[in-house]
Amino acid sequence: MVTFGDGLLYASAVAGVIALAGLLLKELKNSDVLKDLISPMILACTWLLTFAYLLLTYYFVAGDFTLEYVWQYSSRDLPLIYKISGAWAGQPGTYLLWVWVIFLSAAWLALTTKHATPLSRRTQIITLIIGIYFILITRVLTPFKTIYEGRPDLIGYIPPDGSGLNALLVNFWMIIHPPLMFIGYAAITIPFAAAIVYLLTKDDGWEELSRQWSRFTWLFLGMGIAVGGVWAYLVLGWGGFWAWDPVETASFIPWLTLTAYLHAAALHRKNRSTFSIAAPILAAVSFILVLYAAIVVRSGLFNSVHAFGEASTGTLLIISLFASALVSGGLGMRRYLEEPDKIEEDRGFWNKTSIFYVTLLVFVILAFVSFWGITYPVFIQLTQGLKVGVASDTKNFFNVWSYPFTLVLLLALGFCLNYSEKEKKKQKKILFIVAGLTIIAMLVRLDNFYVLDHNSPFWLREPEIYKLIGSISLLSIFPPLIYAGMAVADYLIRNLGATSKRARIKSTGLTMVHIAVVLILLGSIISSTREEKIEGINIPLSAKGELVDIGKGYAMKIVDFSTRSLTEAGGEAASSGDYTVQSVKLEVYKGASIIGSGTAEYLAGKSGSGTFPMVSSSITGTDVYVIFQGLGGGFVPLTLQIKPAINFVWIGIVLFAAGIILIMAVKTKKVKEG
Amino acid sequence: MKTKKLLSIFVLILLLGFAYITYNTSLEKIRFSDQNYSYLGDLTWYRSLDRGFEVAQQENKPIAVYFWAIWCQYCAGFQANTLGNPEIKSILEKDYVLVAMDLDLDRDVARRYGVSYPPYVLFLDSNDRVLDRVPGAVGPGTFLPIVTQVRDQVRSK
Repeated sequence: MVTFGDGLLYASAVAGVIALAGLLLKELKNSDVLKDLISPMILACTWLLTFAYLLLTYYFVAGDFTLEYVWQYSSRDLPLIYKISGAWAGQPGTYLLWVWVIFLSAAWLALTTKHATPLSRRTQIITLIIGIYFILITRVLTPFKTIYEGRPDLIGYIPPDGSGLNALLVNFWMIIHPPLMFIGYAAITIPFAAAIVYLLTKDDGWEELSRQWSRFTWLFLGMGIAVGGVWAYLVLGWGGFWAWDPVETASFIPWLTLTAYLHAAALHRKNRSTFSIAAPILAAVSFILVLYAAIVVRSGLFNSVHAFGEASTGTLLIISLFASALVSGGLGMRRYLEEPDKIEEDRGFWNKTSIFYVTLLVFVILAFVSFWGITYPVFIQLTQGLKVGVASDTKNFFNVWSYPFTLVLLLALGFCLNYSEKEKKKQKKILFIVAGLTIIAMLVRLDNFYVLDHNSPFWLREPEIYKLIGSISLLSIFPPLIYAGMAVADYLIRNLGATSKRARIKSTGLTMVHIAVVLILLGSIISSTREEKIEGINIPLSAKGELVDIGKGYAMKIVDFSTRSLTEAGGEAASSGDYTVQSVKLEVYKGASIIGSGTAEYLAGKSGSGTFPMVSSSITGTDVYVIFQGLGGGFVPLTLQIKPAINFVWIGIVLFAAGIILIMAVKTKKVKEG
Repeated sequence: MKTKKLLSIFVLILLLGFAYITYNTSLEKIRFSDQNYSYLGDLTWYRSLDRGFEVAQQENKPIAVYFWAIWCQYCAGFQANTLGNPEIKSILEKDYVLVAMDLDLDRDVARRYGVSYPPYVLFLDSNDRVLDRVPGAVGPGTFLPIVTQVRDQVRSK
């Protein structure tokens, strides 16, 4: 039986196909038969999907547990906001969100371009093909499946309650993380479509058409990843914001190639023959890697804490991945083998284009390191039935291989930002000095301040080459960091004097984004290597109000302990009490002075439990971080971590977002050809 | 154009080299399991619980079932510090039949014994009776008395 929701999906697919047919007729036969239907059909499709999404949300809010998806991810005792966010807690709902945003993009494209140019029509054709394919995927997985499907014996049975949302997801950051991520995934469709059109037809307007889209995608993907990190930090008690888990790494890879694309596009728009293949290929690769990320996230092939299981969409996504890879690879190859229109003169290595190209390559290398690290263990497992690790400690692989290239990236950043032909000689000299200092700094032996933690039990077990790179001193990050930081400052000073207001805003945005890179790297390196950790603290509840010594010069005081139900006060809460929160109010002392205070919480729910650490920030950037693992036998088990400089990471993330928004706010003038 | 081409070729070779080295390093040095055995904390474990029961019956030893997962960061620490502790390691090797259950693959076994998260060690006798449970990444100080006590309990029978 077709449910109402599925009916909406079918209807939207039909509308999409009519619009696509109209565009194809126009394109191939130059026929206007369906021309007047194109935009209305795209809008109709978008409205139908909007309605489908709202309908799903309605089912969640109303608690219709005859739908399998609602039953799986919600329950009566959840607060309203988590009923709404339950709609994107699982795979079927996220695909509906994804396809909805693809069609919102298509509608936007239809309304802004009115399909007046061949470029906009062709871009729309590719967007629609992808969109319709995703309607198909959504239909296969359908969030609208009832529990009666395939179970006729259940007909007439209405489940009294759902199985509940995983306690780890009952959290503000988890409300916004999936939508950010999937809006990013969807928004990259247009840059991909435009790049493919360019590869096919050499239509020069592609970069301009997709410019804001690629920035928008970059913002959403980046913020999705960042919010995921914040969630890991504040909820999971992973003890950090980044763990190189396959799923977070998978989302990071397209973000890296997209960053490379934005850099390529910046030069390509000034001179059409620069990066005329690299730029569209990077846009295409970013889209392909988004599909790959979706496969990693949901396929169940990749061993990850994000254990969502179920492999049903795997095949459909893998088909789309190979199809888009073949098309982009083939077209890219064709363009490469063609006679170029204009032969770009070779000006050697020391010029802006070449150094920019190095930057692009370093981004690609970093993306490949991450891609390879999550991919080959799965490949070995599938082909040889062996389970291998990438290193004794997974994160060591990524840190070891990414670190040297991060140094190169910072050096390139410092060099490129203020590059000028006139001052080239002086700039090269400074670069060489900084590079020299970096190499010297690599050799300095300091108390356990290396790429890999020498005190970790894994250190001794790592392969030789990992040990070699792992014993590079982290002091070596400082010359490139300072160099890059100074270059950014210099750039800001040079450009603040610009006459046009738009140029000033844009360069402020660029400054913010690039200084964010410096801050994030600084914060993550310092916070992960210089942290102090005291595990296994057990304070008896009876010691409430007393100062308890916990070693290493630290002491803690339990100020208060309480238990409450997450559900707002109401009749139902008392009876079910399924989401109960234990809160412990704490004060942390170093010596006699208080260094942090706050509340650490432990949430026990129907599906598992979650910890919400106490995070107490200070003006110096240091966080006092306490994880509470839930009351046991009258004892309060705690873990204390002192994390210096972590706040630089958060500041960096905010600057990333603010910077790109400023850049987006300024429309760059179209550069006329010739 | 030539500069860019050279740079691209250089990076391509670099990436291929990197891929080759890491792939082979993993195959040779960082194996966690093959078809028959798992290799965790320098110990060799059976991958099948049934096989574990057979051996346990023949040799009259208790079974230590270790539930792990490749993504579990605490497991790695537990393997290095607790299972890797020389005293514990020698007792496990000598007096136990070792079985490792991968939580990504052996979900049914985990469910049967009520194991919901890694690391988790379950002690069984050869008749499938649960002798003891150690949930979580406990230190060697906690783990050593338990392995000793479970062993002695089975011996005394």
